[in-house]
Amino acid sequence: MKWATRAGIHIDRAAAAWLIARFIDPEAVFEFVTDPADVMPGSVPFDMRGVEFGHHAHDCTFETLLRRHDLNDPVLWRIAQIVHQADLDDERFDAPEAPGLDTALRGLSMVCDDLQILTITGPVFNGLYEFFKRELLLGTEPA
Amino acid sequence: MWRKLKRLGVAHIGDGLAALPADARTLEQFEWLADEIAEAGGASTLWRAELTSHAQERSVVGDMAAARAQEYADIADRARKVAQVSMAATESMRMLRSLRRELRQVQRRDFFPPPEREIARTEVASLARAVLDQNPTTTAEAPELVVES
Repeated sequence: MKWATRAGIHIDRAAAAWLIARFIDPEAVFEFVTDPADVMPGSVPFDMRGVEFGHHAHDCTFETLLRRHDLNDPVLWRIAQIVHQADLDDERFDAPEAPGLDTALRGLSMVCDDLQILTITGPVFNGLYEFFKRELLLGTEPA
Repeated sequence: MWRKLKRLGVAHIGDGLAALPADARTLEQFEWLADEIAEAGGASTLWRAELTSHAQERSVVGDMAAARAQEYADIADRARKVAQVSMAATESMRMLRSLRRELRQVQRRDFFPPPEREIARTEVASLARAVLDQNPTTTAEAPELVVES
């Protein structure tokens, strides 16, 4: 399936694209548009104004995707807290990882195009997933 | 909603009218807020506006900088007080963490840094030194290495 989002991606869109490709649609292809009107018919828009997979109530797009796809994996919800804080910085969660990830993503967006960012952040989120999965299983921070 | 606008560091231009310097990030922040207002049944419009004179622009910028200056001064003040009062190491550490967090948030919504920013940074940094010197093991506990030969 084709998924469309706004160009100039940052934490929420990078994390959402990773989530989509790994947990929702393994065949996902991403396109980046500057104007919501440019989304091709048949593409699923995400992290754009007025679409189903965007911010809703207190949720950022990553959290909305988890809710609407009934993804109850606690590891994904732990990552969601980081994405939420990095994106919204509203003190809703205690996620000390957020400011660092936010800075890294903002820096990346200055030197990479959107597809390159996804290529780089994919393994980063895979790593975070593995880390928090082990943490959950061990009950303590993995070495 | 006003709490959220305050967190973004908006300038209040008038009744129900708030402004931020235009960039991709602030535009996105406003867009999500506008959607949230719409979802809650309210109405809002987003405008890209330009002031017609430098004097007006300076006045808006001045108001925003003054609001941040007040927040920085408050942080500097509290950092100074924590440094002066003697309290348990864990308590002063907690205060330091909270001041650092606040400082980071104010800096995030600070578009026109006033001189007070540097004062706040300096006060929090010197509080950090005082707290860590008072109790060097609270944050960084070096592992004990035993070398046997």
